[in-house]
Amino acid sequence: MGLEQYKGDMEMCCRCSACKWIPMQRVSGYRYAHVCPSISKYNFHSYSGGGRLNIGAAMLKQGFNYTDRLLDIIYNCQMCGACGVSCNYAMDMEVLEPIQEFRIKCVEDGKTHPALDQVIAGLRKHGSEVPPTGKRGDWALGLHLKDATKEKVDVLYHAGCLISYDKNMQKLAKATVKILQKAGVEFGIAGDAETCSGGRAYQMGYQEDFLNQAQKNMALIKQSGAKTVVTGCADGYQAFKVLYDKFKLKGNLEVLHISEYIDRLTKEGRLKPQKKVDLLVTYHDPCRLGRLGEPWIPWAGKKVPGDRFVFDPPKTYRRGTHGVYQPPRDVLKSIPGVKLTEMTRIKEYAWCCGAGGGVDASNPDFAQWTARERIDEAESTGAEALVTTCCWCEKTFHQAIAETGSRLKVYDIVELVETAIT
Amino acid sequence: MALSKDIYSAFEDVVGPEYICNDPVIMPSYHGTEFAAIVLPKDTAEVQAIVKLCNKYKLPFRPVCTGWTGKFSKGTLYLDLRRMNRIIEINETNMYAVVEPYVISAQLQAELMKRGLHLNVKGAGSNCSAMLRGHGHLDQTTSGDDRNHLAIEWVTPAGDIVRSGSLGSSDEWFCGDGPGPSLRSILTSAVPPGVTPGVFTKAALKIYHWPGPSRFPVEGISPKYYLSEIPPNFMARYFSFPSVEKMWEAEIKIGESEIAFELMGFNVAMVAANITTSNEEEEQTFQRLSKEVQGPGFFIILAGNSAADFAYKKRVLEQIIGEAGGRSLASVEDPRTEGILLCQCIRISASIRETFRPGGAFSSIPVMGQRDLTIQWAIGAGQAKEPLIEKGLIVDDGGAFFGWGVEQGHLGKTEIFCKYDPQNPEAKKAVEDWHNAQSARAFQERYFALLAGPNEEIGRGLSNYHLWWNKIQQALDPNGVSAGAGALV
Amino acid sequence: MEQGALAAAISPDLITVHPAERDRYSQDMSFVNPVRPASVVRPKTAADIQRIVKFANQTGTPLVPVSSGPPHFRGDTVPSVGGAVIVDVSGMKKILLVDRKRRVAMCEPGVTFAELIPEVEKVGLRLNMPLLPRSSKSVVGSLLEREPVIMPKYQWDISDPLACAEIFFGTGDEFRTGQAAGPGSIAEQWAVGAVQKAPYGPGTASLHRLIQGAQGTMGIVTWVSMRCEILPSLEEPFVIGSSQLDALLQMAYWLIRLRSVNECFILNNTNLAAIFAKERPPRFQSLKASLPTWTLFYAVAGYEYLPEERVSSHMKDITEIAQRLGLEAEKAVGEVSAHEILKAVQRPSSNPYWKLRPSGACQDTFYLTLREKLAVQIDAMNVLAEKAGYPASQMGVYIQPVVQGTSYHCEYNLFYDPQNRRELNRVKELSTLAVRELMAKGAFFSRPYGESKGMILNRDAATLSTLSKLKKIFDPNNVMNPGKVCF
Ligand SMILES: Cc1cc2nc3c(=O)[nH]c(=O)nc-3n(C[C@H](O)[C@H](O)[C@H](O)COP(=O)(O)OP(=O)(O)OC[C@H]3O[C@@H](n4cnc5c(N)ncnc54)[C@H](O)[C@@H]3O)c2cc1C
Ligand code: SF4
Ligand code: SF4
Repeated sequence: MGLEQYKGDMEMCCRCSACKWIPMQRVSGYRYAHVCPSISKYNFHSYSGGGRLNIGAAMLKQGFNYTDRLLDIIYNCQMCGACGVSCNYAMDMEVLEPIQEFRIKCVEDGKTHPALDQVIAGLRKHGSEVPPTGKRGDWALGLHLKDATKEKVDVLYHAGCLISYDKNMQKLAKATVKILQKAGVEFGIAGDAETCSGGRAYQMGYQEDFLNQAQKNMALIKQSGAKTVVTGCADGYQAFKVLYDKFKLKGNLEVLHISEYIDRLTKEGRLKPQKKVDLLVTYHDPCRLGRLGEPWIPWAGKKVPGDRFVFDPPKTYRRGTHGVYQPPRDVLKSIPGVKLTEMTRIKEYAWCCGAGGGVDASNPDFAQWTARERIDEAESTGAEALVTTCCWCEKTFHQAIAETGSRLKVYDIVELVETAIT
Repeated sequence: MALSKDIYSAFEDVVGPEYICNDPVIMPSYHGTEFAAIVLPKDTAEVQAIVKLCNKYKLPFRPVCTGWTGKFSKGTLYLDLRRMNRIIEINETNMYAVVEPYVISAQLQAELMKRGLHLNVKGAGSNCSAMLRGHGHLDQTTSGDDRNHLAIEWVTPAGDIVRSGSLGSSDEWFCGDGPGPSLRSILTSAVPPGVTPGVFTKAALKIYHWPGPSRFPVEGISPKYYLSEIPPNFMARYFSFPSVEKMWEAEIKIGESEIAFELMGFNVAMVAANITTSNEEEEQTFQRLSKEVQGPGFFIILAGNSAADFAYKKRVLEQIIGEAGGRSLASVEDPRTEGILLCQCIRISASIRETFRPGGAFSSIPVMGQRDLTIQWAIGAGQAKEPLIEKGLIVDDGGAFFGWGVEQGHLGKTEIFCKYDPQNPEAKKAVEDWHNAQSARAFQERYFALLAGPNEEIGRGLSNYHLWWNKIQQALDPNGVSAGAGALV
Repeated sequence: MEQGALAAAISPDLITVHPAERDRYSQDMSFVNPVRPASVVRPKTAADIQRIVKFANQTGTPLVPVSSGPPHFRGDTVPSVGGAVIVDVSGMKKILLVDRKRRVAMCEPGVTFAELIPEVEKVGLRLNMPLLPRSSKSVVGSLLEREPVIMPKYQWDISDPLACAEIFFGTGDEFRTGQAAGPGSIAEQWAVGAVQKAPYGPGTASLHRLIQGAQGTMGIVTWVSMRCEILPSLEEPFVIGSSQLDALLQMAYWLIRLRSVNECFILNNTNLAAIFAKERPPRFQSLKASLPTWTLFYAVAGYEYLPEERVSSHMKDITEIAQRLGLEAEKAVGEVSAHEILKAVQRPSSNPYWKLRPSGACQDTFYLTLREKLAVQIDAMNVLAEKAGYPASQMGVYIQPVVQGTSYHCEYNLFYDPQNRRELNRVKELSTLAVRELMAKGAFFSRPYGESKGMILNRDAATLSTLSKLKKIFDPNNVMNPGKVCF
């Protein structure tokens, strides 16, 4: 199947360039109207969502010609899915799916990016997207958390690779623990046995490695008896919730991003952020919590012969409509003193932080360029702090801020909640 | 047609290695054409240098803004102008804006709305270049085609920089004509289209008053956008009429009484396309709306400069519609539909859903000019669509055409198209035949002429314009490098 | 010149070589050098014109097309070279079409405003007029000159209200612009219900724009069509007087931006008095004394539907703008009523022509500019006038917002006594000086006439060179009014 199954979709592309921009009725000025980092940086149409489909369609017909330029195009894409959302305002066709399949095909054909190969080698070896520093569960030392590999748990907190291993990010896991404990949630972690969700491997095109990780994770979950997985990073969230489902691995597992969970706990009255956090913030929707966090819609069918690109049974497209946008915002609103001011590009048409698709590893300059654009946008709102709900975003933004000397602060939402409840 | 290394590096010297590419892998994304190379100049000076090199090497070139569609010859140098994307000036005092080619209408419009102003947005959509000539839903109050251009900065096919009108004489953008005869005479025109010789690198456009909010209160998540409220003194309706004649009568009265902000002669198929978010929903909605309308119709937006102005316009509309036996389509009166249609028609200009969503292709005959005349022709062209619909070769839209009044009904536009699946050879052939037959009929019956490609007979029938145009092209483009072929739609 | 040859080309009845006749065309009220034409021909039909142009090409004879009757003011109908044939088409007086529904009229070049207005009014239409043209002014002439019109709201494009034209280019070839180009003959077009309305095309060219502003250097026009506006059923004219030009300009800006008004222009007291003082002095002086320095005139109109309501809703909006600007709309300034102005400007000037009334002659200097530059330019002109010994207070000033407020036609009318050589020389010198000085201050002389044209055109070598290429195509032998514009 692979790319082939999207032949029709790719051929539908009308080259309207909507995929380069946020939806037109959302354009509110000259600035911040672009939505695709890749075309914005590299300019040749081929780097846009549509351009990628045009190339895919042509190569399906004429054969694959892996030039350096083609690989440059393929790997300089955050797989952020913004193109698909803008396209799907008007068009009925898959956009990110074929882009994803094109990458998978490259990997299958051995046309990989060395930096990504290295990341995957690490994954194969350590079950982590980031090089391990010590043991995976070290962050939880002394916290006396339930070990889900040993006891049954209802709720499993999956911290993710970056939060587990990155010394600067471990605070997010600790904050999460504090929050869950405060709300009286019984939960466990997998500690050293936790392994990468595989989501980022999938974005990079390494489908097998992803599936491998997915199977490991689901086995662990099954064994732990967890009904709910709470993730700390948006990549993990999308992997568990959407990708595992896509590959029919998820079963009945409930997947919550920590921001969703906090929102639920707050609304149930189990969590009461009371301490004032005087801060004017703006919120960055991570791609994989936002537009790409919407549930998978299983579908199999055939094109109905005739004039229209329609299917039997009818196909419901994932247009970004049902991503997770409101819960983190409600959480921010629930913190006394926090004032939220929105950027221009938000929710389903948010601008990517730059780290997606492995770009942070394959082309750090491009990732940083993308992040700087977001920092600039955040600053334009007058906010003091940029809040996000993904550690990868946070890390990328921190780097960009260090480079530009911006005074903007960057927080994960759990950091603010932690302050508000202690 | 590969460029020699030397020639390639000559262009590379102009734009830098990052901004030129001739790798065949990118060509599918450039209209599936084997271009000599794609270059991305950053400013007028680079465009000029490129054009001069094209003359030196006798290499044909074509400039492109957003490049939605186009027909190009193999071996052409493609000037992708996307890096020339600045708004140079918004002159509120003198009602014009100056932009580079890759400022899209949505961007300029958003900036203008903040200042209580707006512009003509091409019917293709606000995703297209603001600078190029074109016409759209808003023509009723913002005119269209070449009529909105003031001064233009133009790199001629020979590589000279010409700054028309006041720009050349006094470095200001307010006028594109003179001293003496106007160079706008040879720069741009209306649909049916032709290709402008050379490259526009900046142009001043007329801008207009915008009586609405600085931005629409759009709520919801794509594609289910809606307005939290209809802006004050705004209203949108769709009216259908017992006959084309009655519709035209109402259209003319509305134009004469200067009450419409937008008058867009959508057929119901287009209404259905625009208010739905998928093909399936569109099909059902079309069936439903078809039963609700009594005949052809139009969509209209009223916008008052004040409450009194709005009240007056509403009353006049009511009277005109009453006299013409028009009936409002209830679905559009639902504020949720009314709001988003209003916003879409102004801000997006709504064309992708109508054209490409169903089958991935459409074939169109658009014509500017005298609305009643072109409608007369379009009725026949619509009838000729019916057998294709019956055979299932094209999307069923009731055989309808569409169009709108321009400059308060002084001029107009009519268009008719077939939507089909381009992967189906039978459909493709049937649509081509329809296109050819209806174009030929327009010419033979003296309605108008389409000017796609060289055609002696049509040229002769149109004051031998083709001979003059050839001479002009030869004079401006002695090396024949400014590629002439290609249509805009 | 070979008279015989011309007579062989067209009917001899149409040719005059009488010295008095030739003298009539040898000069006008501008300061261009008198040059006597070799003969005057008065064609009656398009075929006559084509024959004349063909003849000119064969013999290298310069042709000078003339549409309006005298007096002429701009020097464009005076030959620049010897041996020229005046092609006076003022006798071609057919009104070819008036179509109410499509709002269009079509006429030959000899038709004057006074002749066309009643015909279009009969069906409920009106023309977008220049300000008080002389009674002999040809409608076609005015349109081809891109004269500013007094209803800027209806001027979408500077080429308006011209729609289409039929022309014999300098090559002798017939061409029809815009929709009129075809398919088919005009009669065939009419037969299917087509009118000649859409100005653009065919193809990428819109050659009506080339013919306009060319001063007859591209060819001879045999008819034009023009867009007409609806005759209002109700009109409410107003004036606002002020010594503060800027406030009036701002007011005009909003009136046009909101499309609230039809006629809209500004005159200074000299011009307003010149228009309304039937005899001078003492009437002119007393009238002028009664007027504010500047007067903005505008009219609000109602059409077929609810005219009262339309006018009152516009007036309400306008009152708010005026209040914001500290202005007050009135029904009269001094001894001139808004109503009088409205009636006057909807017709050509009564005789004698208003520009001739104050002193017997008038030299106009006009250009296009931006709103914010007007004040400085007018000040500069005042200083220049005074320096040249011409009292600035005697100078007429007319400001016409054009093309829906995207620029401003500014016109200085220097009234003088043609019998007074000193005065005449002063005015002549002043008008040349003025062009230079005003250009330095951002004035754009889009319609260059007479002595200053070189100075104007030389500022833009690139445009000039492109225009020359076009001229070579349409008039390769340079028979069409040689010496005009830059040709
Ligand atoms: C679905 C659809 C609907 C449409 N509806 C309408 C409509 O309602 N009204 C309408 O007017 N048009 C319509 N069009 C045509 C449309 O206007 C053109 O496709 C359009 O202007 C696209 O803008 P663009 O920025 O993509 O132009 P491009 O495709 O980039 O360019 C269009 C043409 O202009 C030339 N060009 C581009 N840039 C320059 C330059 N800087 N200097 C000189 N020449 C240049 C190109 O060579 C090309 O021939 C429609 C097209 C589509 C596909
Ligand atoms: S991918 Fe979609 S939005 Fe992008 S060019 Fe193609 S059709 Fe347009
Ligand atoms: S996924 Fe993101 S970066 Fe990649 S093409 Fe789409 S919008 Fe651009």
